[in-house]
Amino acid sequence: MSFRDIGVGQELQFQAITDIALSLSLLLLLAWSVLLVIRTYPTRVGVQFYALALAIAAAVLFTLADYYLLNRVFPEDSFYTSWIAGSMGIRFLLSVLSLGWIATVYAMRQKLEQVESDFRLQADAASLLREAELFKLRQQLQPHFLYNSLNAINALIFTEPEKAQEMTGKLSEFLRSSVKRESGEMIPLAEELAHMETYLAIEEVRFGDRLIIRQEQNDTEGALIPPFLLQPLLENAVKFGLYGKEGTVAIDLQIRLEDGMLTIRVTNPYDPASLAPSGTGFGLEGIRRRLFLLFARTDLLEARQEDRLFTTTLKIPQQYV
Amino acid sequence: MYKAILVDDEPLARQLIKSLLASRDQIEIVAECGDGFEGFKAIQEHQPDLVILDIQMPRLSGFEMLELLDHYPSVIFTTAFDEYALKAFEAHAIDYLLKPVTRKRFDQAIEKWLRQAGKQENPGLEELIRENVTEGYQRRVVVKDNGLIRIIPADEIHYIEASDDYVRIVTAGGQYLKKSTLSRIGESLDPRQFVRVHRSFIVPVSQLLRIEPYEKESHIAKLQCGVTVTVSKSGMMKLKTLLGW
Repeated sequence: MSFRDIGVGQELQFQAITDIALSLSLLLLLAWSVLLVIRTYPTRVGVQFYALALAIAAAVLFTLADYYLLNRVFPEDSFYTSWIAGSMGIRFLLSVLSLGWIATVYAMRQKLEQVESDFRLQADAASLLREAELFKLRQQLQPHFLYNSLNAINALIFTEPEKAQEMTGKLSEFLRSSVKRESGEMIPLAEELAHMETYLAIEEVRFGDRLIIRQEQNDTEGALIPPFLLQPLLENAVKFGLYGKEGTVAIDLQIRLEDGMLTIRVTNPYDPASLAPSGTGFGLEGIRRRLFLLFARTDLLEARQEDRLFTTTLKIPQQYV
Repeated sequence: MYKAILVDDEPLARQLIKSLLASRDQIEIVAECGDGFEGFKAIQEHQPDLVILDIQMPRLSGFEMLELLDHYPSVIFTTAFDEYALKAFEAHAIDYLLKPVTRKRFDQAIEKWLRQAGKQENPGLEELIRENVTEGYQRRVVVKDNGLIRIIPADEIHYIEASDDYVRIVTAGGQYLKKSTLSRIGESLDPRQFVRVHRSFIVPVSQLLRIEPYEKESHIAKLQCGVTVTVSKSGMMKLKTLLGW
């Protein structure tokens, strides 16, 4: 079929449709290639410039190809071909605009995704690091107590084998409940207190009737606490409370829920001349660090000494109370 | 007959060592101490041949106690768990016992000690004590004051001055001499708080009142306690970096 066979009006209409179809397909093809290039060869710097340069190059290519193709399709020296020649400038401009817009939006979106995934990656790394440190801090608390208890059992085997057996039983109980515990960040207070009972039972074998624990609690139902925080606190109180003294020693444990905070106050008598040495094993630094990692706050543990009494106050923010 | 002293804050731990030593007639336990203060006194009084020493004790750690002694006795350390100290022991080939202490391991350590008991030198131990064996920085300094042990919290130090084989630690309550060097004591303290401003001075940043130029290339610092100390060129650089001037 030749264009000559059709009437002028119809011919023009047909030519315009062919032009639109051809040019649009070409534009789409180039837009697609630009997106492909941006995706395959992404840049980290000058994203906008990169997209724009690609778009301009594609637009030049589009204009040249469009001109060439249309001239091939349509007969020479026809009215339409001369019109095409005149419209090349506007075609170029339009293609720059459309390709530029598509390319920039796409490149920006990719950049955004990149930034977001970087951010997520970093956040993941930070949280992993935090987990690891928390784990390590928790691990540090146990061995001292365990090895010292085993050492005490060793001693009792020589002198009081029956007590050694009793202590072995209690230590196993403590271990069993340690192992069973959830590794979650927060556990019910009642569970932690039950765990403390098994801990104190061991200390009772060790110190006999010398140790008195007084516990006072207001309605703390539903309160949550990170596991393994209370034990080092009590262990400290026991060590410093019983230390260098004769006779019975009372340790007060006061637990309340006030203003959305679980407040635990441990009070033990203490010799003002002494001061905990720094380094591992003693001191409240480990607890403080854990509280910071868990709640990003440094004001949750407070230690005060007055009138030969040492008071440590531990505060745990309660989210759902 | 060898004289031995046990230092451990846990009575049962001391009892265990006693039981393990019971069968050995050549070693006599002359004192049992529940902390570094008692240990310090007992060691000076009895001049023992052997000290079995726990590291982690309330009030005064085993290392802090040793630091104060003029003559180091033979020591077998006991510890439940202290990565940091264990590394130091390995590095200086010093014998130690891990808790729970077992008969086999204890006998090995004693036999080894008996073989060496004749010679009194203990180079590893001296090096160990001269080092910083605890993790992190010390928040206190332990000194001898008229035969008594005094613990100075780091916040209470006005400044530290070198004085021959000693360092002079100056506080509001008085000054104390400690057998140490400025660099050693400087290493043990938190560098964000304490700065070696001069060959002979360590100053806590919180004590600085003002710094004035003095002679060529040196400065003087006025401290809150009223004392003026010299600041060397490198000391000034350290202060500048730390305080971000």
